[in-house]
Amino acid sequence: MYLFDTCQNIFLNAGYQHIRMYDLTSSNPNPVINYEGVSKNVTGVGFQEDGKWMYTGGEDCSARIWDLRSRNLQCQRIFQVSAPVNCVCLHPNQAELVVGDQSGVIHLWDLKTDHNEQLIPEAEASIQDIAVDPEGSYMAAVSNRGHCYIWSLTGGVGEEPIKLNPKLKIVAHKRYALKCKFSPDSTLLVTTSADQTARIWKTSDFTLLQELRHEAQRWVWDAAFSADSQYILTASSDGVARLWNVETGAVEREYNGHQKAVTSLAFRDEIIRE
Amino acid sequence: MVMVGEDIPRKLSSVTKFDCYPGVDESDDEDDEMDVMGQSFDIHSDIDFGIHRQRSTTAQRLEKMDQDRKKTNRIKHIKWEWNPVVLTDDERAGLFERKNFRQTEKDICLKKHSLLSDQLEKCPNLPQNPFAEYAKYDGNAQIGVPTRKYGIFLTMLEPDERNYPMHVIVLAQAKVQDLIGLICWKCSLKYGQHKLKDSVDHYGLYIAEDDGDVDCDFPCLDPRETVGKFGFNYLALVECLKKEEDSKSLEREETELVLSQESWLKPKLQQQENDDLVRMQGHMIAMEAPLYQSYRVYIINRVRAKTEIHLGISGEKVEIDPVIQQKVSAKFWNRQKAVSYDMDSIAACDLTDTKSSSRSTFRLVYHHSGGSSEQAESLQHHTDLASYKHHDFEADHRTAEEIVQKINHILELRSSVRRREYLALRERKSHRKRSFHLGPR
Repeated sequence: MYLFDTCQNIFLNAGYQHIRMYDLTSSNPNPVINYEGVSKNVTGVGFQEDGKWMYTGGEDCSARIWDLRSRNLQCQRIFQVSAPVNCVCLHPNQAELVVGDQSGVIHLWDLKTDHNEQLIPEAEASIQDIAVDPEGSYMAAVSNRGHCYIWSLTGGVGEEPIKLNPKLKIVAHKRYALKCKFSPDSTLLVTTSADQTARIWKTSDFTLLQELRHEAQRWVWDAAFSADSQYILTASSDGVARLWNVETGAVEREYNGHQKAVTSLAFRDEIIRE
Repeated sequence: MVMVGEDIPRKLSSVTKFDCYPGVDESDDEDDEMDVMGQSFDIHSDIDFGIHRQRSTTAQRLEKMDQDRKKTNRIKHIKWEWNPVVLTDDERAGLFERKNFRQTEKDICLKKHSLLSDQLEKCPNLPQNPFAEYAKYDGNAQIGVPTRKYGIFLTMLEPDERNYPMHVIVLAQAKVQDLIGLICWKCSLKYGQHKLKDSVDHYGLYIAEDDGDVDCDFPCLDPRETVGKFGFNYLALVECLKKEEDSKSLEREETELVLSQESWLKPKLQQQENDDLVRMQGHMIAMEAPLYQSYRVYIINRVRAKTEIHLGISGEKVEIDPVIQQKVSAKFWNRQKAVSYDMDSIAACDLTDTKSSSRSTFRLVYHHSGGSSEQAESLQHHTDLASYKHHDFEADHRTAEEIVQKINHILELRSSVRRREYLALRERKSHRKRSFHLGPR
């Protein structure tokens, strides 16, 4: 589980019982900070956009907020659920955390008020990943049955609470779905799966735009869009990361070097002109 | 993840074309720190400890522990606190304030261009690196897997570039061929692909000294062997001039194939070649003709009885030796004495009959002189054909032909008086009386 910090040149690596923070500006191969306290696998991690705090989700049935700013840990918060947490996703308003667990429950946790609500899109299915698009218009969740659920979102600004309206259920994949992510321009959604493909959906009508399939590709564990949403990177069990052209569906580059499965990727890109 | 806050384009422009992995070399200095798990404490390479005196395992272990402690000291550890300070409502509101994420909505409508797209456009047709598949044998980023570290001298580089070895860490379980591929991969990243052939088959790894001297006394490491078996510190990558045996035979097959294809395409050319070959063969036989050779043939005596003899032919003489026969019958038939004829007295040798039963007879004509004293006299006589006698022999086709050819080659080379005389006589005879035919044919 990897993540780049937006403004602090920090790279995060989370795994079994640890969250390690690396300084990208130095060639120091060792972490600079090691966060301890999660007793099981850390399954999700992310930053508040100003770098004030960090959120994590773990198989110890909890989601946590870690204070990043100072020595005195002021805003340590914990949210406990009844099943191992598979994924955590921060709403673009930076104040609500969406937590998905193995029992198939999606929790909406208001960090300011601690108010929370639950959704169960599909009984006895595990929620594998959740994503909210940068515009805050849609929320997507994928299950271990390969289904993708879409909600349209309203509110979330000021005092207005977020409202979730179930919009669509897509049978996105035949097997496990593993990840879902919206493109930075909010026009695309990618779902990755154990069926050896990643699929790109248009958010305008949630129809299939592109299927990313390669004969050597195995389970597709993770995906990341380029900043302009023109390209997508995938991580696969065949040990190769691939760069795809979204429009043509062609593989532009292959990144070799891993001996084993590539299960997570973080990509750092930026807009250079508009 | 989209990042803001750092000027990546500026950074990228300062990076040279092949510096794809900055920091890889720098991290080499810390390798002994990183290899804590990879190497057992009691095994260490000479380069790391060569300048120190040998220390006990305990001392080394203590040092490693000390290094580990220092390393851990540099890492800040943050433990989860269960009872943090209770936040005031204001603080909480500040930390978890709802941002107005819809503000930037209008910007998004514009067509954007990212750094990645820009880089891809600058290099649309990246040549495929044939060694990319070997990148996975790199032991640099592996933890808990046995690895081997080598200094590799790259003999195909320019002299100023190959002064120092390239350090390569490879997984111990990789094959030598994989190591060659990994070296080529690293080399192509560092120096560019144009310096290398497109396949690992062109290269071999040789043992080398630490100053880069290639030890050519030993053959290159077997490409199918596991890297972990070898314990050398320095190796040299050498471009193989001659290929492996199996590839060689394959190559031969290929050329043969090409040849046969050509002959099919150009029968004329092939014909020419065949003619040349035959001609060359003829030359060879002519050259070898004076060399002594013995044949086992039958001599046919006057009563048409056959006796097995050895016919020895050299540039100087023709010898007829009876094969030693036992038994009583030999007493009657073995009348053949051992005789020897000087090559100068041989006049002709021709095939007389080619039987259907794969046997041929041939006749050897020689000048008969009563004794050596008379030889000079007989020369002056220019007598008729009566002074020429002959022997008839029988042998199988091939032997007969070979003998006739051999003797004729010798006769041609020598062009003796007797032969010229005999040929002239024969010609005269045939003119005088067409039907008369003494000599063969």
